[in-house]
Amino acid sequence: MNFSNWQEQQEISGFLFHEARLLDEHRWDEWQRLFTPDGLYWVPLVHGQADHLNHASLFCEDALLRSMRARRLDQARAYSQQPATRTVHVLGNVALESRSDTGCVVRSAFMLLEWRKTEQRAFGGSVLHTLEREGGEWRIRMKRIDLVNCDAPHEALQVFM
Amino acid sequence: MTIDLQALVQPDRVHKRVYTDPAIFELEMDRVFGQAWLYVGHESQVPNTGDYFTTRLGREPVVMVRHTDGEVHVMYNRCPHKGAKIVPDGSGSAGKFLRCLYHGWTFKCDGSLLSVPLRSGYEDTALDLKSPQYSVRKVARVASHRGFVFASLSAEGPELGEFLGGVATSLDNFCDRAPDGEVEVAGGVQRVIQRNNWKIFFENLHDTIHAVATHESSWRAAKEEFESMPAGTPKPFEVVIVDGNGEPLDFWEKLELKGYDRGHGFMEGIFVPPTDPVSLAYVAALEASQGAARADEILRVNRHNTIVYPSCSPHTSFQQIRVIRPLSVDRTLVEIFSFRLKGAPEATFQRTLKYTNIVNSPSSNVMPDDLEAYNRVQEGLTSDGGDWVSMHRAAGRDQALPGGRASNGNSEMPARNMFAAWASYMGVRAGDAE
Repeated sequence: MNFSNWQEQQEISGFLFHEARLLDEHRWDEWQRLFTPDGLYWVPLVHGQADHLNHASLFCEDALLRSMRARRLDQARAYSQQPATRTVHVLGNVALESRSDTGCVVRSAFMLLEWRKTEQRAFGGSVLHTLEREGGEWRIRMKRIDLVNCDAPHEALQVFM
Repeated sequence: MTIDLQALVQPDRVHKRVYTDPAIFELEMDRVFGQAWLYVGHESQVPNTGDYFTTRLGREPVVMVRHTDGEVHVMYNRCPHKGAKIVPDGSGSAGKFLRCLYHGWTFKCDGSLLSVPLRSGYEDTALDLKSPQYSVRKVARVASHRGFVFASLSAEGPELGEFLGGVATSLDNFCDRAPDGEVEVAGGVQRVIQRNNWKIFFENLHDTIHAVATHESSWRAAKEEFESMPAGTPKPFEVVIVDGNGEPLDFWEKLELKGYDRGHGFMEGIFVPPTDPVSLAYVAALEASQGAARADEILRVNRHNTIVYPSCSPHTSFQQIRVIRPLSVDRTLVEIFSFRLKGAPEATFQRTLKYTNIVNSPSSNVMPDDLEAYNRVQEGLTSDGGDWVSMHRAAGRDQALPGGRASNGNSEMPARNMFAAWASYMGVRAGDAE
């Protein structure tokens, strides 16, 4: 499915770039406000995972859990954030997956560089944003990230991807 | 160079080398992991003939397979021909027999040789295809306790029941909590890499007093979250399982710790049995199946982490088993398996997964501060700033139990108990106190 026009593509890509920037700049509160009240942030544990309720995940966070994560990252005694994780997201391949009366599903590819202490880690994969139009703004109903190495053993994953 | 192990272990302190010396790590692989019963997996991971699951026992890659007669076998994942790993790492189905990818030697699912290509080529050679050395080598001993499969790489030693001693009751309670009396692995396995010696993680499992210090960031975040909710809001499960780490030291002191011979033990449950609708529906299902009196008896066994030394840590009330696989002296893999209680409502399992997502997953809010602490210990121990690691707290105050000892919650009895077992496996006696 194609975007209806250049303007729509620009607007939605711009929204995704903005979201990624909020994460890279640790603007957790603004990032959380991008979600609908029932919005889900989900990073499946296995390739092609169909279900977040009956299968374990890497991240499976509703508003409550996103808020608890954000609060923790900003605590003075978050020892595992001394120093804080730094990230940069690079997004591409933005494509319209489907459209509904109230929103759309957008697929993108991403690379994420993450640094803390001594080593840089690289993550990558595809992202599905289920977006809703709400009062003239886009809101995220679900952000699903399928990592290329989702089922690998991982060291701690602390910040939102 | 020989290592004077005797000089490194005392009843109430250990030398830093036991955590940092690669040569000692190799000795542990031979003597601790080469002798103890090690957790392999659960029978439900290989439900049908030919189903396999690979793992690692000490340094050894092994595979658990279901044979045509229904028995579960554990063997070295190594073809007796050229040495290739016969099945790929992970789990799957091999079909009716195991077939090596390299030259097509095939084996029954109990590892015995079935056929080789060009059999005639071996006629009149020294290679006797009937010899057991041309079947897949089995691990020395395999035994199961309520579906939990253990293996020992040594033909000598106690039977599994004797080995487990007092922690067999944790595995029993793990199953008894199912209305149908059985559990099954489900919902995928989370894997976490730790940059620390495996013993540091084991000691932490019953180190109660680290929680309020190390986990301040997560318990404070959970408390703040709850305080931000409208007055009268029942405390959500997601908050309960995180803010409990903020309990003061006198809370932990009252919990009982049990330590059993061979390093095992358990901690009394830290969570008050929850009364939310999911929990109540589960209790009702257990009562319907077992009767109210038996259900009450089962649920009264309320334990936090159990230690089955040196391979796993079951959590009986949230249906997890963490499997600990040392990779090197300063690197450890922890694999987290979730279990479904057969006969329980679906929502019970979904809560099990919620617990694992929040507490055990690589993305846990609780664990990163643990991992940071373990890693700083590992790095600090390599320095010349000191030679000994203390385990003195409440030493000399243990209560004797049949096959073990009990202590108050803040005692370092579990660490001393594990090192007594470690010393015994390593062939030394924990020396005299300083």
